[in-house]
Amino acid sequence: MTNEEANRLLHAYIDGELDPAKTLELEAHLAKTPSLRAACGRLRELSEAVRVKADYYAAPAWLEERVRAALPAEPNNGPAKPRRWEWLKPAGSFAAVADWLRPAASFAAVALVTWVVALGYLRPGEDERITRDVLASHVRATLGSRSYDVASSDQHTVKPWLSARLAFSPPVADLSASGFELVGGRLDYIGEQPVAVLVYKRREHVIDAFVWPAEASKAEQTYTRDGFNIERFARNGMAFWLVSDLARNELDDLARLLAEHNAGP
Amino acid sequence: MTLAADSVLLHQVDPIPLHKTESAPLHETLSERKRRFEQLVLPHFDAAYNLARWLTRNDQDARDVVQEAVLRAYRFFDGLRGEPKPWLLAIVRNSCLTWLAANRPAETVGFEDGAVELLPSDEDGPEIKAARNFDRRMLNEAIAGLPAQFREVLILRELEDLSYKDIARIADVPIGTVMSRLARARRLLAVSVRAASNISGTQVAK
Repeated sequence: MTNEEANRLLHAYIDGELDPAKTLELEAHLAKTPSLRAACGRLRELSEAVRVKADYYAAPAWLEERVRAALPAEPNNGPAKPRRWEWLKPAGSFAAVADWLRPAASFAAVALVTWVVALGYLRPGEDERITRDVLASHVRATLGSRSYDVASSDQHTVKPWLSARLAFSPPVADLSASGFELVGGRLDYIGEQPVAVLVYKRREHVIDAFVWPAEASKAEQTYTRDGFNIERFARNGMAFWLVSDLARNELDDLARLLAEHNAGP
Repeated sequence: MTLAADSVLLHQVDPIPLHKTESAPLHETLSERKRRFEQLVLPHFDAAYNLARWLTRNDQDARDVVQEAVLRAYRFFDGLRGEPKPWLLAIVRNSCLTWLAANRPAETVGFEDGAVELLPSDEDGPEIKAARNFDRRMLNEAIAGLPAQFREVLILRELEDLSYKDIARIADVPIGTVMSRLARARRLLAVSVRAASNISGTQVAK
């Protein structure tokens, strides 16, 4: 064993990670090399100093309690935990959104019923109806654990899965290079037809991209509902509706990427 | 110099022990699932916080990242394989990285690639000296000043006492890289503490 190799293996040795054969070999080398023994001693001392003197940051007890309370509790088994409205504060955290989604979902449900009742009188536009549908679908998916039916970051897995179950083949783009990670796909029923939902993620934000065939290309349009950003556009015979709690400018980015990817001939 | 030391390390072909954590029981209710999560994962809450605190170097950021990471862990609880602690810490570590990339992109430079992967070829010289006399405050500042990819392996090894195998899993690098990063981390640390001591004029060397 050369000195260089011995020096290299010292770290694994003091960490107890060297295999038995090399350990014996190194120990033989240590026995006859005082400078190596000294180096070994210094390393042990350094390791020990970090263990003893480096700060160990224990979590504040209230933080663990807060997280514990925020773990999705049983909806139909025992009383629900008291709502933690202070969770609204740390924006961006999943739990904050989840807690905040519940009333939003109830609202969406009530709105839907109201709308059905009022249908005969008011006749909201088709876009308004779709807006509500896609929002409700997005909220349902993010509230429950079923965000997607097929979980895969591989467009070549998601696309055939969706195509096999739909009367059309949705364009599925891998946009991970641009910061939008494809996490899966699911099916839903929007505007009286089955549609494909591509599920993307950016940081912790889930973005649902609803896709279905559309004859006419309507103008691009953005909406905000219950704090969600919704964006609609059409390209190459497909209608795209994006729904997320992601910031508007980032949702714009995704819309642009999807449009580019589906620019068509 | 590339490191081909994996072959001399322990554990290196240890398969993930699937049997160690029984998979989610069928028909598990939400409250049973929550209880199982509390029993398996939450005991490592402090470790999660410690890692996040050392990576973000800030209390408030660590709190935000940890609560997000643990809730995320709960969502992906079904994906738990093997030991819960490295599994949780891998999620925390990724959340930290994502958070840093969004908020302090400069700090993630070189984190994922092997830019600073070289192992010092000279032997551990006199700069690693009399570590027992290291001033506590200086030592902590020196650790906080390490590049993140070295800081994380050092924290996981010395403060969480994790094996190279577990650290490799958390940091998502080969086990040989764990060893070279750890060697580098210790060397940088020793140099840094010595430099700080010289500047402040404190006598640390014997």
